Amino acid sequence: MDYINFILDKFVDFWTYTGFANGELGNYIMILVGALFIFLAITKDWEPLLLIPIGLGIILGNIPFKAIGLEIGLYEDHSVLNFFYQGVKSGWYPPLIFLGIGAMTDFTALIANPKLLLVGASAQFGIYAAYMVALLLGFEPNQAAGIAIIGGADGPTAIFLSSKLAPNLMGAIAVCAYSYMALVPLIQRPIMRALTTDKERRIRMKPAREVTQREKILFPIIGLLITAFVVPSGLPLLGVLFFGNLLRESTKTTRLANTAGSALNDIVVMLLGLTVGCSTQASEFLTTDTIKIFALGASAFVIATASGVLFVKFFNLFLPEGRKINPLIGNAGVSAVPMAARISHEQGLKYDPKNYLIMHAMGPNVAGVIGSAVAAGVLLGFLS
Amino acid sequence: MNKRIIGLFIALCAVVCLHAQGTRSLKISEVVTCNTDGLIDEYGRRGAWIEITNTSWGTVNIHSCYLTINRAALNPALSVPERISLMSMVPKGDARTVLKAQERIVFYADGQTNLGTLHTNFALDASQENFIALYDGNGVSIIDTITVPVIGENQSFARLFAENKDEADTWLILDKEDVTPGSPNRGQAEKVNKVAEWKAKDPYGIAMSIVAMGIVFGCLLFLYIFFRSFGKFMEYSGKLARVKAIRKIHESAVKVAVIAKDGKESRGIDMETYMAVIGMALHEYETDVHDVESNILTIMPEEHTEWNSKDNAMREWPK
Repeated sequence: MDYINFILDKFVDFWTYTGFANGELGNYIMILVGALFIFLAITKDWEPLLLIPIGLGIILGNIPFKAIGLEIGLYEDHSVLNFFYQGVKSGWYPPLIFLGIGAMTDFTALIANPKLLLVGASAQFGIYAAYMVALLLGFEPNQAAGIAIIGGADGPTAIFLSSKLAPNLMGAIAVCAYSYMALVPLIQRPIMRALTTDKERRIRMKPAREVTQREKILFPIIGLLITAFVVPSGLPLLGVLFFGNLLRESTKTTRLANTAGSALNDIVVMLLGLTVGCSTQASEFLTTDTIKIFALGASAFVIATASGVLFVKFFNLFLPEGRKINPLIGNAGVSAVPMAARISHEQGLKYDPKNYLIMHAMGPNVAGVIGSAVAAGVLLGFLS
Repeated sequence: MNKRIIGLFIALCAVVCLHAQGTRSLKISEVVTCNTDGLIDEYGRRGAWIEITNTSWGTVNIHSCYLTINRAALNPALSVPERISLMSMVPKGDARTVLKAQERIVFYADGQTNLGTLHTNFALDASQENFIALYDGNGVSIIDTITVPVIGENQSFARLFAENKDEADTWLILDKEDVTPGSPNRGQAEKVNKVAEWKAKDPYGIAMSIVAMGIVFGCLLFLYIFFRSFGKFMEYSGKLARVKAIRKIHESAVKVAVIAKDGKESRGIDMETYMAVIGMALHEYETDVHDVESNILTIMPEEHTEWNSKDNAMREWPK
């Protein structure tokens, strides 16, 4: 009889370890959110490379268990997930992703038409508008900055800055940034249409001039020198972004550029997505702050898009006929590369089937990457 | 073998330099020579103490460094072992000697090294000036020195670090209530909490938006100006190259005209060369001189030669 009781005790004991015994409503809600992310990624093709790792990470991070020092949870020292999480916590995954972005990005469109840099700069206003609104909603300046950077539409930058300025909000900020990046087409199209006239949408831009290899090699070096001297706090992001680009353009390190842009980038994206997803544990994530963050993120995206489009319209006032910029590429100033540029192109074709805007839109798009990294550096310098 | 030795030497130098670079940021920051009502050591005793600060933003290990109050150690005629014999070494193997960024460590200057790592082999004398020097692990390089004047009971001689590198640090005599062993010295401008400052001075974020947006815009404007100018320069040099090429064509055309005028036979130029020059000039003209041509022509005569003979291009029949 004792023996049976012993076995039953062990069963009961085992039950206390299971997810069923430890689960709370929040865990189940978050698991559904994770499943929704995976569903959207697969069926709607919304940023599958990011939403699938994040979605599964959300599920993984919300599996309830009894914390008895098994070293399995994300926040438990010496656990495997905690080891992966160090890249997010210490902020070294985002620079590695920037290395890949640099190695994959062709800055030719920007070099050929450098005034598009200003369009990329103007779209960063979304960040600061969101900062002001976040302060009004009662966030501390460091938290507001972490949230506002969502407006830069740059996931790695958002993670980098929030891990430094508002680590407790990082999970929500990262998920919000990537979710909205997936929703860029839905957010941007109506704003672009609302802020432009039919005539403006049909503006045909002058083909970009030919760019020499010497210019392409000089761009990352000069870009790094100028931006890093002005904003040294952005060095981790800007340094590796331009380093990756130099690997690509030097023509002597193609192997390294290929690795940085493919295998290395893929590995980091997987680990980053998974651990960011894991960090959204119900107790931390299901709060009113998260709702506010999502609302602020949306407004930051909207304002950033509108700023880009309106700036182009303003800029056109000073440009001679024949050199005017199509305001449909203003949205690409947010750094969601290359989705934002693709939307400009698609919208351009809709109104003029022979107006190919993709190469022109890539200019502000990659300028947005530089702009958001500079903006993050500025906020970090002021608030850390 | 030699390469390996050189490699090891370079690595060793690098390690030594790194260590030296780290310890250079150590500074003597506060000294109490007569302590009757202040800091107590691990044994509950009060005595003189010396505080050292890691002023850098990296971790520095102070182990193997030396402290001394003996001016004789400054004598360059002494050998290293002789100098070291006048100093008190910070022992290895104590985690407390690893100083994180801006961290401080306190040494008890009581002459009783048997009491632990943080006790020196010399004692400070409250009745007179005390010279204190901090030496690097080689026993030769001085990291920091001070001379503590005669100060009152429980008073400290404290360093206020200058905000700017160009300015010199200042030393103050602090009263008992301002003495802060192991903490930033009272009177040192406390690090302003940036977040609190922004919150207080810019509650709506307008200043931040203007300043930060200005910086972002300015930064990209710099890039724009540079690449705009550089682009113009490249366009100009491209045009220049085209002009040179056109000039070359013109020269060729002049030659062709001369040939045509003087008659090709009289100049000893055969028909093929004549046609090739005209063809080349037309080609360069029509293709807008995009490429730099080698201008080397191979003219194939009509009769069969080894150039166009299929027989010569085929492999021999295997025997």
